Formats: sequence, C-alpha cells, structure tokens
Amino acid sequence: MKKGIFILLILSIFLTGCWNRRELNELGITLAIGIDKSDDEYLVSAQVVVPSEVSMKGGTGATPVTLIKGRGETVYEAIRKMTKGMSRKIYPGHLRMLIISESLAKEGIGDPLDLISRDWELRSDFYVAVARDATAEQILNVQTPLETIPANKMFSTLKVSEENWAATVGVTLDQLITDLRSDGKEAVLTGILVTGNSEIGSSKQNVETITPATSIKLDDLAVFKEDKLVGWLTEDESRGYNGIVNQVKNTVGTVSCPEGGKADIEVLHFKTKVKGIVKNGSPEVDLQVNIEANVGAVECRIDLTKPESIKILEKAYEKAVEETINHSIISVQEKYETDIFGFGNAIHRSNPKEWKTMKKQWNQHFTDLAANVKVDVKILKTGTVNNSVVVKRKD
Amino acid sequence: MLPTVKINSYQFLVLVILFTIGTSILVIPSALAANAKQDAWIAAILGMGIGLLIVWLFTKIGLWFPNLTYIQVNKTLFGKWIGNIFSLLFIFMTFLYTAILLYYSGSFLTIHVMPNTPMAATNILFAIILVMAIRLGLETIARSAEIFIAIFFILFFILVVFIAPEVEFKNIQPVLEIDINKIFQSSLPLIVVSSLNTISLLMIFPAFINRPSSAKKHFLIGNLIGGLIVTIITILCILVLGSDMTALQMFPSYELAKKINIGNFVTRIEAMMAALWIICLYFKMVIYFYAAVFGLAQMFQLKDYRPLTYPLGMIVVILSLVIFPNNLEQSVYDTTIDIYFSLTICLLLPLLMVVVYAIRKKQLQKLRKHRN
Repeated sequence: MKKGIFILLILSIFLTGCWNRRELNELGITLAIGIDKSDDEYLVSAQVVVPSEVSMKGGTGATPVTLIKGRGETVYEAIRKMTKGMSRKIYPGHLRMLIISESLAKEGIGDPLDLISRDWELRSDFYVAVARDATAEQILNVQTPLETIPANKMFSTLKVSEENWAATVGVTLDQLITDLRSDGKEAVLTGILVTGNSEIGSSKQNVETITPATSIKLDDLAVFKEDKLVGWLTEDESRGYNGIVNQVKNTVGTVSCPEGGKADIEVLHFKTKVKGIVKNGSPEVDLQVNIEANVGAVECRIDLTKPESIKILEKAYEKAVEETINHSIISVQEKYETDIFGFGNAIHRSNPKEWKTMKKQWNQHFTDLAANVKVDVKILKTGTVNNSVVVKRKD
Repeated sequence: MLPTVKINSYQFLVLVILFTIGTSILVIPSALAANAKQDAWIAAILGMGIGLLIVWLFTKIGLWFPNLTYIQVNKTLFGKWIGNIFSLLFIFMTFLYTAILLYYSGSFLTIHVMPNTPMAATNILFAIILVMAIRLGLETIARSAEIFIAIFFILFFILVVFIAPEVEFKNIQPVLEIDINKIFQSSLPLIVVSSLNTISLLMIFPAFINRPSSAKKHFLIGNLIGGLIVTIITILCILVLGSDMTALQMFPSYELAKKINIGNFVTRIEAMMAALWIICLYFKMVIYFYAAVFGLAQMFQLKDYRPLTYPLGMIVVILSLVIFPNNLEQSVYDTTIDIYFSLTICLLLPLLMVVVYAIRKKQLQKLRKHRN
C-alpha cells in the first residue's frame, strides 16, 4: 500500500508538471500593444520581439521587432486572430506600453480595457498612452535608435521625461482604472505622436542616419471625462497638472529677471498638498506647494553675490508656479469641465458628509470651484559659480 | 479505543494561528472592502475583537470536560440521539468546508498560475497530501505546522517590508466615513471565517493537549495573532491598492504581492508569496478534514479512524469539483449561505450547549464523580 502511494506521488509529480508548459521558444513576447477601432471592429497590433535579433550574439540585420495585426469585434477576438499570421501565441506578461488611438479614446476606453485587466497573463505595471493624430499602429511601426525595441524606448522615455521635465505622466493600468472608477478624479493619459515620414519609420533605414527620419515623441496630456477623451492640455497646463497632483520630481522653471532676461530654476524637491474645504456649502481647495530649488542658469544681470537677489528669484518663481497652476485649473474648468486633478477626492477626504451630496454633480461643482494656491520657493544653492559668467566679464 | 496522542500547547498555538489566517488572508480584504470601503481595516479590528469573545466561549465549552472532544461533549450534554444529530451537523460542516477549501486552492491556482490545468489535477494532488497528513496523525501535523509557521512568518515579513514603499496614506482617508452599523455588518465574514469556524479546533482542544489550561491562553493568543495578520494584510491592501481596487479583485492580497517592486530588481515574486496562502490553506484544510474524519470515527465508536480517510478523501475531491459551478456561485455562497450556516452550527449550537450545561450542571458533576 505504501509503495502504491509512493509510486502514485512520483507519477503525479512527473505527469502534471508539464501539463501547461510553454517553452520560451513558443512564446511571442509582446512588449507593446496598440488598439485602434475602425468600422466597428477593433484592430489590435502587437509589437513582438524577434529573439534572435536582440540576442547578445547579434542578429542577421533584420528588424528587432515585428508587428502583428488582428481584427475582431472584441479585443480578445482580435488578439486570438493574430495567430493566423504568426507562429507563436502572444505572451503579454512583459508588456511595457499600451497605446490607444485617439479616435478610440474619444469613443471610450472602458470596454477595451476590461480584457486587459481581466486577463491573468497581464500585469499592471505597464504604461497606457494615447496616440495623438495617429493610429496606434503607426506608433508601433517606428524603429528607434538607442533602444532597439521601440516599446522599451517609449517606456523609458516616459519614465525619464516624467522625472526630469514633468510635463508627462506615466499612467499605469491600475491608476487608470482607479481614476475611471473614482467619483472624485477623472483620468489623464500621456499623448504620444509620430513625427516625420512614417513610411521610412518602419524600416531599418530609419536608425541608420544620425537624425532619424521618423521618431516617436511624447506629447501633452489627454483629458478624459469618464472614459472618453475630451481634449488635450498644452505643455504648460500639463506641467501645472503635474504640479497639482504632486507628481513633479525634478524639473526646470524659467523666470524673468527684474531687469530683463531670463533665469532658470532647477527644482530639486516639489511637494504639493491639496486640502479640500467646504465654505458655505460650496467646495474649495487649498493648494500648498513647497519647492526647494537651485539656480540653474542666469541669463540676465542679477547680482547673485547678494542674498536679496535670491529673494527676488524666489518671489519670481513663486509667482510663475502660481500662475501656471491657476492657469491649468481655470482652463480645465472652462474648456473641459472635468476634474482631472482629483479635487473631488480631496473634498471626500476632508468632508465626507458634504461629499455625499456633491458627488453626483461633481463636475458641475468642479467648474465653480475656487482654488487658493500658495507657493513657497526656497532656493538653496546657486550651482558651481555665484555670479553669471557674463556679468564677471563685463566688470 | 481511538489512539490518543498529545501535542503540546505551543504546537496548538501554531495550529490556531494557521487556522485563523487560513482563507481569510486571501479573500477577506476584498469582502471587507466591498462594504466598509476605506474603513475595512476598522472592520477587521472590530471583527478580530468580536472573534476573540467567541473563541473565549469555545475555550469555556472545551474546558468543561478536559478529556472529551467536541463530539463526546455533545453526547454527554444532549444524550445519545440529539447529541449525535448535532455531531453529525458538525461533521457535515467540517467536511463541507474541507471541500470548499479544496475548491479555493484549486481555483486560486487555476486562475492565477496554471489556467489550462484542470482543477481535478490540482485538487487530487492537494487531497493526497491532505489524506497523508491525516493518516500520519495529529502529532505529525502539529510538528510540520511548527516548521511551516517559520516559513510563513519569513515570507510574511518579506511581503510587508517590500510592499511598504508602495503605501499611500491618501487611500485610507477619510477615516470612519461609513457608519458603525455597516462596519459591523461587513466584519461579519471575517468573524465567521476566522473565529466562528475555530470550533473545529475543539476536536483537538483540550482532549489532545498535554496541558489544557495553558492551551486555553494559547487558543486566544493564536486567534489574536492570526487576526492581526489578517488586519495587517487588509490595511496594506487598502493603502496600496485603494479600497475600490481591493473590492474589485478576487484575490487582493495576491494583487498586493504583484505590486512589489524594489528598484526594478525585486519584482515578480508573487509566485513565491503564493506559498503563504498555500501553507495557510493547507493547514486549515487539514484541521477541517481531521475534525470530520476523527469526529465521524468517534461518533460511530470505531477503533481506528484511518479506514475512513481514503473514501472520505475521494469524496472530498469530487465534492470540491462539483460544489460550485463557477466562481460567482462561490462568492454568492460565501457572502450569504455560508455565514448563516456557520452562525447556526458554530454559534447557535454552542449557545444552546451553554444553556443545557447550566441546567444539567449538578447532574453532570455527579455523573463525573460516579465515573471516577
């Protein structure tokens, strides 16, 4: 009897282990998926890595990725239909980018996103972006220098740009779904666009010149109302948005000097606190922004050996940030009437009772909402020199 | 007579901890967040407190007769016929819960790890080690639990430390938005799963423990530690995923493990974390199954419980496969029928026992003296 059990156990280990096996050379590792819609059908394109071309040994000179397309009434159907043109099944476990075309985003992204969140193979650590003035397919059809795999290029660009310039936001699927479902915050997504000749873009030729004929660039933020795209922010507004939602890590701001000319402020630390208040039944938000910065560059005559000059620059930058933030709030209120800043959530946190009554018509409340912005800038250092090099020479 | 083994009270503590955490760690955060939203952690603490009261009641019942298991207590209190009917209900419940837990483990594995594998395969494998453990006896179970709890706490510690950078305190505000009634309501599943069902442990406590009086303390402490761990997991789920995502997920704590990302280097370790749930699920299942098998043997006064293990093991596998047609039925069952079922058997019956005991106290004491 004991022997019998033993044999059964051994057998069960060996027999079940390979039940669902999928070897690496059977997987079509997909790093980016693009979703378009035309004629009531989804067109899904997947950027699949060609393993032999990205291996250390070096490839044969063929493209490092290939684009597989599928059409279907649903996203899932389209993805499965891809196997008609491909020897391997799509494996999206390492997905980096999900690109949605602008026209589909205008119709609504809720439905196609469902599969993406339901499928077990997908994780939620990839970025979602909107293809501006282009189809998702066109975006995925461009070869890129530096990073051989375009999807990785987009992913890293988004990350680097978010950390150093702060006009873009890397929105992961989780965040997007949370925003779409939340009553107090609407979604935004970064736009992505193709410049140049898109025909050359897909061939290896594109990366053979120093200036690529075609390149993919990040663009400003797309504003959503519920799950529909309603418009785009400008670059300044995008930066204002990032400031409000406390997503600025590092950026550069330009201020005008009192005697003309410009100076650059390098922001090292940027912290925004949003506090919701309800005054006489109408919601308001207090924004307290604390910035620590360095002087990055001085292109004007200002005497940086005097502490007062620092004060002047601080005041100037405070004003600039305040204007940027106010401008983005007002323009979103006027143009799109959708609370992308999450002020609703701030009210929810501070005044849960009042929120209950406001929640239903929140976007209307949002348009009349007053924001009190307070900015506090501290300039800590002036870089490696004190006065501007130009000033010294003229003395 | 059935074989008598004794485990020490530390081993019992370990079993209580694992039993309390059991399935709660996997599914309870979602159940709590569905109603209590960002106040789910308050519901968890509340549930833990009420749960402790219930466990205290169980220890009281257990210690009336330090040498008898729950089945025998039933018989002594209610007499042969009524007692056996109640015992049968109890055995039925523990047996059913074994199958449901087997379903849980199967569906967890087939949803997240091996989607093309039929559930029968995973469940049979699980049932084999389940039957094996029961056949080896309580002492082996307790000793292996001692080893596995170390692994459990190491993994748990890793999970908590590694997920800490993802925490966002905004997610937990506003505190106490939901009114206290609703919080109480939503803590009910936790009370049922983590505390009410510990009645199964009355098959071990106090009859098979060498020092029952210190085991009483350990019963309570074990339940407290288990409850704390579930609370911590719930708080982390809310803090990291937000209440909405927590409620949306089927297995939120697995989703939590997916979020771990330390410098793009320590990532994708959720499969390792799954060991946490498998350990807890397994020991909870073992205790249920032990209670069912041993209880049945005791009720029919068999010489040995081992002959029952194979047939019951087979029935459990089949039951686990047919019990829910799909996972929606399971979640409907979990939130409705299961709660009333457990409430009846694990709360109503023990309360009835208290009443009967109070009435028959003197008579029973005479009986005991007479026996001695």
